Amino acid sequence: MKHLKYLLAGSLLLLSTLASAASLQLQLKSDPANPGHPTMGDWMHFNSVITNSGQQPIEGLVAWISLVQVTPGKEQPMDLEDWSAHKAVTGTALAPGASLQTQWPMRLIQSGDYRVVISTTDRNNKTVFTSPTLQFHVAQKPVVESTRILPVALGIPLLIGGLLGTQRFRHRHRSA
Amino acid sequence: MNASSLIATKERSALLQNQRGLAWLLAYAGILSAFALLLISNRELSLLDNAQVVYMMAGTVTAAGALIAVIMGSDAYAGERERGTLVPLLTAPISTGDLLMGKAIGLASAWGIMYLLSLPYLWAVGAGGQNLGQAIFYLGLFGTPVVLGFGYLAMALSARSGSVMSSLLTSLIILLFSASPLLIGPGLRNSAIGKALDAVNPFSGALNTYDAVIIDSDPFLSQLGRLVLVLLWLGIMFGVARLSARRPAFR
Repeated sequence: MKHLKYLLAGSLLLLSTLASAASLQLQLKSDPANPGHPTMGDWMHFNSVITNSGQQPIEGLVAWISLVQVTPGKEQPMDLEDWSAHKAVTGTALAPGASLQTQWPMRLIQSGDYRVVISTTDRNNKTVFTSPTLQFHVAQKPVVESTRILPVALGIPLLIGGLLGTQRFRHRHRSA
Repeated sequence: MNASSLIATKERSALLQNQRGLAWLLAYAGILSAFALLLISNRELSLLDNAQVVYMMAGTVTAAGALIAVIMGSDAYAGERERGTLVPLLTAPISTGDLLMGKAIGLASAWGIMYLLSLPYLWAVGAGGQNLGQAIFYLGLFGTPVVLGFGYLAMALSARSGSVMSSLLTSLIILLFSASPLLIGPGLRNSAIGKALDAVNPFSGALNTYDAVIIDSDPFLSQLGRLVLVLLWLGIMFGVARLSARRPAFR
């Protein structure tokens, strides 16, 4: 009898947790227009759908995007500073059954393997819900071309140096 | 040609035809070349995103331009005094306002030359990438008030102190402090003090705009607050220079 009580209490606790945890559903998909083999400098877009599957309206919804590098030996969370100017959606309300569709643009700054995930929470619920992760690889691309830089970086100082030399020569010639 | 135009022409030609001016220009080009060569000699830097590289080059152009402006500004009055040419200038039939205006226009023309000189560098590091046109436009719009503001500040100190060394050192300390956001990334400036300094520092204003428009492709309207900040900086520094130049130290 005692065991039955504990079992019943445990089941109720589990059910209530499941009920509250299931109030938001997140889907995350890569945009069909994304490049098949993304390289540094490309843009990628991720489309998320956040659905209030519970019975209560959700107030003060906050959703944000996170990026994690999973390149072997370089595993780390990424600072999205230069990757994306659109990092979060804040203060949104969702009625029961309503959905919020968001597109997350991202500029690929560094090469490597990455996983992107959308997380969300709201004003009243302490739970953080996360979407499934999407993994992608960013190929390396040397963006600074030495064939363009070398003539400018060496040519301009040489030109000014030549002008300076001519000035000095004229000055000495005049003095003499 | 009126007196201020005459002085402005003399100041501008001093940069292109005078050995000292050409040496300053060579130093300016040397800074930009060193940075460009660093980009291709370092593997990590050579892999940076185009927009990031253009942003860094725009920041370097602004800093190097402000450095030369500070040197020229410090030389404007105190240099004339040390060469013994300030008293003849002050006794010539030209008002102190015209003298300042001539030197101010001369400094603006010098920045114009430096700006034109920076264009090949921007093209070299940013061609084929995004927002090169925006970088050139915003460097002119935001870089000009920042650079000239520092030049006028140095001019004011030069007129007040009468010593090139003193005005140069003071201006350089202020410039180094203001340009610190070049070294400290936006993430590290995200504290209350960092944000407060960013809100009043014209150099930060220009850098944050470069970041926003070159890397994040933000629209012009979102940069209006920072534009007001850099224009205020220019206006205040020109006003300070005018006040100091009314009675320059000539003894």
